[in-house]
Amino acid sequence: MKIPRELVHTFPLFIPRSYKTSEGNKTGSWRFLRPGYLEKTAPCSSACPLGQDVPTIQMLTVQGAFKEAWEVILRENPFPGICGRVCFHPCETACNRGEFDEPVAIHMIERFLADTARRYGLTPHLEKGPSREERIAIIGSGPGGLAASYFLTLLGYSCDVFESQEKPGGMLRWAIPFYRLPLDVLEEEISRVESIGIKIYCDKNITEKDFQSLKTRYNAVFVACGHQKGRNLGIVGENLPGVVDGLDFLIGLKRSEREPRIKGNVAVIGGGNTAIDVARSLIRCGAEPVIVYRRRKEDMRAFQSEVEMAEEEGVKIWELKSPVKVEKKNGKLMVTLQKMEVSELDSDGKAIVVPDPSEKEEVLFEMVFKAIGTEPSEAWYATAPPARDVHDLFSSRIVFEDDYPVLYGGDLFSSAKTVTNAIASGKEVAIALDAYFKDGKAAIMPEIERCRVGGSSALSMEIYINGERSKRSPHVVSFREINSDYFTLVPRIPQPRLLKEERVLTFAEIDLKISASMAMKEAGRCFNCGICNQCDNCYLFCPEIAVVRRTVEDGVFRQINYDYCKGCGLCVVECPRNAMVLEEESA
Amino acid sequence: MKTVMEGSHAVAEAVKLARVQVISAYPITPQTHIVERLSEYCADGTLDAKFLRVESEHSAMAALIGASSTGVRTFTATSSQGLALMHELLHWASGARLPIVMAEVNRAMAPGWNIWTDQTDSLSQRDTGWIQMYCEDGQEALDRTLQAFRLAETVNLPVMVILDAFFLSHTYEPVDVPEQEQVDEFLPPYNPRFYLDPDNPCAFNQLAPPDVYMEMRFSIQVAMEKAFDVLGAVHRDFGRIFGRHYDMVEAVECDDAEIVLVTSGTVTSTCREVIKKLRSRGKRVGLLKLSLFRPFPVGEIRRNLLKARKIAVIDRNCSFGAGGIFAQEVRSALFNVPNHPWVYGYVAGLGGRDVTPEVIEEIFRHVETLECPEDDSFWIGVREVENGIGSSR
Repeated sequence: MKIPRELVHTFPLFIPRSYKTSEGNKTGSWRFLRPGYLEKTAPCSSACPLGQDVPTIQMLTVQGAFKEAWEVILRENPFPGICGRVCFHPCETACNRGEFDEPVAIHMIERFLADTARRYGLTPHLEKGPSREERIAIIGSGPGGLAASYFLTLLGYSCDVFESQEKPGGMLRWAIPFYRLPLDVLEEEISRVESIGIKIYCDKNITEKDFQSLKTRYNAVFVACGHQKGRNLGIVGENLPGVVDGLDFLIGLKRSEREPRIKGNVAVIGGGNTAIDVARSLIRCGAEPVIVYRRRKEDMRAFQSEVEMAEEEGVKIWELKSPVKVEKKNGKLMVTLQKMEVSELDSDGKAIVVPDPSEKEEVLFEMVFKAIGTEPSEAWYATAPPARDVHDLFSSRIVFEDDYPVLYGGDLFSSAKTVTNAIASGKEVAIALDAYFKDGKAAIMPEIERCRVGGSSALSMEIYINGERSKRSPHVVSFREINSDYFTLVPRIPQPRLLKEERVLTFAEIDLKISASMAMKEAGRCFNCGICNQCDNCYLFCPEIAVVRRTVEDGVFRQINYDYCKGCGLCVVECPRNAMVLEEESA
Repeated sequence: MKTVMEGSHAVAEAVKLARVQVISAYPITPQTHIVERLSEYCADGTLDAKFLRVESEHSAMAALIGASSTGVRTFTATSSQGLALMHELLHWASGARLPIVMAEVNRAMAPGWNIWTDQTDSLSQRDTGWIQMYCEDGQEALDRTLQAFRLAETVNLPVMVILDAFFLSHTYEPVDVPEQEQVDEFLPPYNPRFYLDPDNPCAFNQLAPPDVYMEMRFSIQVAMEKAFDVLGAVHRDFGRIFGRHYDMVEAVECDDAEIVLVTSGTVTSTCREVIKKLRSRGKRVGLLKLSLFRPFPVGEIRRNLLKARKIAVIDRNCSFGAGGIFAQEVRSALFNVPNHPWVYGYVAGLGGRDVTPEVIEEIFRHVETLECPEDDSFWIGVREVENGIGSSR
């Protein structure tokens, strides 16, 4: 038996119902706090010497938009394949995720994107400004010179690059060992830069006289010829046969058809990246290298990870020892090592050392490699002619001789002599020159200031050309400002590597490729600090349906309908990545 | 098929068989096993329902109000403080005439913290416009849950199915779980009389000024009164399909009884045994089990109790300053009838204290010896406590 239908239908059911809109009641007038969309700066972007838009790169990678992600890199950095391999990635040190579990492997994703673009032979879509009449001469085709020519060309200038060696690339080509930067990666990246319309003249050494004549033919000259000469130790016997300049050794390796075999104990003097490159190369040539360093291991200027890998491969490190004399003995080199001791620590916590006169030792080596630093190969490179009109920027110097701009950058000017800093220097030069040509000298400093990423010395070309990024706040998002409830602990992707037994046998690249799915998973760990990744939390959480979502041609846009937003702030709190802001309503 | 299961799981089985579409709940002991089992069913696909995890019971009920407004079948479960937190929205659910079904596992209100059974939580929600049904055992918990959906969806009022903590929720008993086809016959898909329809936009429950509000309230009262007829029909249909027969009250040996004990929940089962024992000693005693509390079955109560001389109501709850709540209701139900029996109220078994056969016999002896009730309520088994602040263990 069913319930009689008539019984059901006689039930009274009287509730309020209205078909009229209640939109006439503009509840937004109750608001005293005003939420809004305001993208901010991620700490990684600010820490990157190139100010790269890391959170956007990760966001696009997660979406599988690899070409677009690669193009976002190319707006700020012409060399992602190189930087993804050799940069010391300060972005990862600054990564907010490091306070949650582990930093995002940003460099691995950068490299993945570059490798993917190369594998598929992609041609990037790069926005180029209208052509300009000014011609720029660039001395040196290292990362600084090439970066300047790349950015200046995109800004509409024509650039000629002069390279003293037979091939372009500078230290990228000659100093960085293949196991860190394979030749094909380098050549592909250089040819891609060249292909946007840059002329590179190789085997063209610029003498001081040539330099003067360049000034008559070009509207500006950028001197970016770097450091090609190893520094001397300043000790007895350093010119004996068997005592070799470390940089010359690395260059020689690159030029030789096959690597030489070197036997026995060899000493590498120094504590920078060159010393590590030399020592690790020597291992691959069959030698047993010892790095002799006058300070402690933790004081070495070399990247920590490089030091660790060198030790894994069998490089020995003798700390607190300084060579004072090299002598010939029984066909070998006898090096007298002075024991050093720490007298105090400097402001960075690095040791300041003094000799301990009580202790010296003599050690026999087959060869000695000097790697204590580099300097320009010709004196005029570094010393600008006497001039009063000098503007020191973050990583370059601009000198006006009767209003003619000559710029100095790359290793010649930067204190941090890294590939990425050299590229940053080239970018800075491009911005400074463009500002100068368009609006005169007085425009240079304000324009440089305007392009700073999160108040750091990193400059953004996208901000300079008033791209989307220029709308972001320079406020650098801290971990505290991330709503970490939205994230789960996920371990960082490990870098797949050759086994150390394999590494020491060849100069093959150590770091192996990662798959697209690994890259997407890793990029998915990114908090996307300060930028909207369209998660729609604001839209979903708004209790007033005052977040309006509109689909337009290039995607979905969100807006706040202030007629009905009561300013509860839920959207701002629930934004996982601090891409919103809540401010007091102005009266 | 008969299966040994917890009372909680009997409810979960019924919810699954009822093909509920949206569940929203927040865990609280002793209710948790119900929604825990349902979340498993949702996760493994056994039950095709949206399971909403929320941050509080208030939100659980709010979510169901939203869901039910779209015309889908909804369910939640809670206990004690969780139910209290829902209070505002309990009124909303009934006022909005939404047929939400909730399992409410009776648990004592804090402080002192107590997770054991006590009816004060559900009875505190007496005036929220929810239909309340109290269950005696696992079978009844399953059956009442199925009936609740049918009743709720017919009268457009929410229904609470109420179980004693642990004595029922966590006790394993054989339960006859019906076949899906039987349940489908008994409980067709929900056919809402009104629902939110994006193609025909409207707003529900906006401002109701004095000229209409009272009629809306009256409409709820009428629906409550009609619920007796509907529930009668539901019981008949249930009996036809499942072979198990229910009523709003159950009278045991009341016809010739001088004294009738009135119970609800699991105490009833204990009382059944006591009645048998007392009858064997020649006592003319009966038992009236109350299954329905809202709407209160006044007619059934009068019909079954007027012949007796004395009525003893056992309350596992207390309205402080008045007494046991069932006793008050029974007393009110009988008052306007001439020559009505005396009503004795007994508060017992609060906070999960066991109501043993000895306790019930003590109540019986008390009623038997007392010519008329000297007091509106008597507390049974309360120990003397020293002055000062007590400490427990």
